[in-house]
Amino acid sequence: MDNMLLICRGLCASAGEKAILHDVDFEMRSGEAHVLMGPNGAGKSTFGHVIMGDPAFQVTGGSIVFDGIDIVGLSTDKRSKAGLFLSFQAPVEIPGVPLRSFLRAMVDAHGLKMKNKEFKGRIKELSAELDMNPAYLDRELGVGFSGGEKKKVEMLQLLLLRPKLAILDETDSGLDVDALSVVSRGMELYRQECGGTLLVITHNTRILERLTVDRAHVMVAGHIVDEGPASLIDEIDAQGFERYETAGLAIEGK
Amino acid sequence: MMATQAMILEHAAAMPAPTWHFLKMNDTAIEIPEGLEISPHVKVSGPAKILKGADDIERAVEGAQEAWSAKHPAPTQQEIAEREAFLAAEVDATYGGTAQSDYQKHADALEASRSLSQAFEHGLGSEAAMFLQRVAGKRVVVEGEAGQNVEVDMIVKSVPEAVSVAAIDVVAKCGAEVNVRVTVDSQDADNGTNGIAGTTIRVFADVGSRVGIERAQTLGEGYIDLDDIALFAQDNAHVTVKQTVLGADVSFTGLAGDLRGQDSNVVVDTRYLGRGMQKRDFNYLLRHHGPRTKCELRANGVLMDECSKTLRGTIDLIRGCKGAEGSESETVLLIDEGVRNKTVPVILCNEDDVAGNHGATIGHIDEKQLFYLASRGLSQEEAEAMFASAIVEQAALDAGSSEIRESVIRLGERLAPGFDEIFEEEEI
Repeated sequence: MDNMLLICRGLCASAGEKAILHDVDFEMRSGEAHVLMGPNGAGKSTFGHVIMGDPAFQVTGGSIVFDGIDIVGLSTDKRSKAGLFLSFQAPVEIPGVPLRSFLRAMVDAHGLKMKNKEFKGRIKELSAELDMNPAYLDRELGVGFSGGEKKKVEMLQLLLLRPKLAILDETDSGLDVDALSVVSRGMELYRQECGGTLLVITHNTRILERLTVDRAHVMVAGHIVDEGPASLIDEIDAQGFERYETAGLAIEGK
Repeated sequence: MMATQAMILEHAAAMPAPTWHFLKMNDTAIEIPEGLEISPHVKVSGPAKILKGADDIERAVEGAQEAWSAKHPAPTQQEIAEREAFLAAEVDATYGGTAQSDYQKHADALEASRSLSQAFEHGLGSEAAMFLQRVAGKRVVVEGEAGQNVEVDMIVKSVPEAVSVAAIDVVAKCGAEVNVRVTVDSQDADNGTNGIAGTTIRVFADVGSRVGIERAQTLGEGYIDLDDIALFAQDNAHVTVKQTVLGADVSFTGLAGDLRGQDSNVVVDTRYLGRGMQKRDFNYLLRHHGPRTKCELRANGVLMDECSKTLRGTIDLIRGCKGAEGSESETVLLIDEGVRNKTVPVILCNEDDVAGNHGATIGHIDEKQLFYLASRGLSQEEAEAMFASAIVEQAALDAGSSEIRESVIRLGERLAPGFDEIFEEEEI
């Protein structure tokens, strides 16, 4: 149990009447990088959202222990303040709120005590690292941003907050090679500078090329059907999810 | 020193076609306190004339009248008789013979008068416009000659126990581009004081001209703001109006526009914040006369504490404006339970082949947005505070002049100490 950052035991979750996650056991140690893979509709994104406390889902059984505390009863903002971060597959747009105002409110909410000069300096530094045009800072959050620009903003938030655990939900989806490279750079910086723990949710392997993965998990139909070392990624890359899908159906049939 | 007499400007900012009276939103009453010193504090930068009894606008409208009358000959007696017979039959068929409403009678009389000057309406109504003109005294006239580009900045600086009003005429001749930016501000927060600040702006946009009006109001507590605009757009004229309402205990904002010329276009963007016990009143009236005319009214606001707000937006698609399009939309974030919000979008239509759209998003922060913000550590209260602060911050970022930017930052600093640090120049 040493150094264990996230432990899910028998986690079950649903969206209304529809059960999505079934008896999920999942563990991560601090400082590790894990990947959660699975075909479309397997429940991977739901898993990330349930850990973050998305009110669209209900935990119907089991526990989520983060950094030694059961967080199932905690609101999303408190989970964030406890050190959890979720990078969204499709970050929302917030018209009327300049990106800079949002970042400032986020830093203040976390009690980071960053003076304005320091805040501006940090934003400037991170914008340069992520090849992000500083003009975005005066634009309304997400409004008119391309998919790549939105993901850069997600990475900027990650590096600004320096959470204990970052869950990247399909961060690679819909990105071109250049944008993907920026996301990879963000992940590297987070690992190097913050010693961050990373859970990458994906259904392809491109984003993993520049990441040293400690452990891989496979989810099918809301069940964890396999887990193992990084070599599991290569197996899936070569063989796909078919064998797991058959196994998933068998579990469903029980 | 001249001073105001106590009076109430009744039926100000009235909707042309009233709704149920019990809703108490057809118009408003503007109370003028007694004994305010009439003392315009107006500073003008740029090419403008300050004149007493200026008639440039009147002459421009007379010129437009001649051209319009020549292009639209008066109907013959036979045509009038045929039209009356048609209308009578239509009224019988549709309403079973019910008499016309006051609005319809007024609209028909206005059309029959064929007078452009009569159709040149003011957003706060004629009585309020006359009051503003009277206390302003002289007029500031901004004129763009054909093909010329003119930029003017003005500051109306209100002081306690006084009424400070600027009357502004903007005449953009054929192909001219004229931009006027007005800051309406007070010396300080002036808690517990009494004062009125205001502007009455008339715009004549001639053929192919472009006019931009930007007005930002950042008055301290204790003030009443009166913002009155009258627009007239000729063929292919393009008028944009940007209004920012952030301060003052009570604000009245009224804009009326006559899209007389074909393919003329008016865009109005309004941003507002209401807090404490503040009262916000907005009235918009855009009348489409010309074919293929377009208007767009957009309002975005945040209301908190126990403030109240009414917005009336009327788009009138008048006979003859074939191909015209009008749209109005409003997004209001209601932060506290004590807020009172009324929004009345009205689209009047007396022409085929036109489009009138309206939409309003009124309520609390969207659930998906709230989850996203919570995932970044913001509680609902922190998220709502961010929206209120953001509307001031966005106003400073979008400011078209350094005067507007500085006054918005000063207001932001009054609301949240430390706000001005956001805009400190970065060291190079």
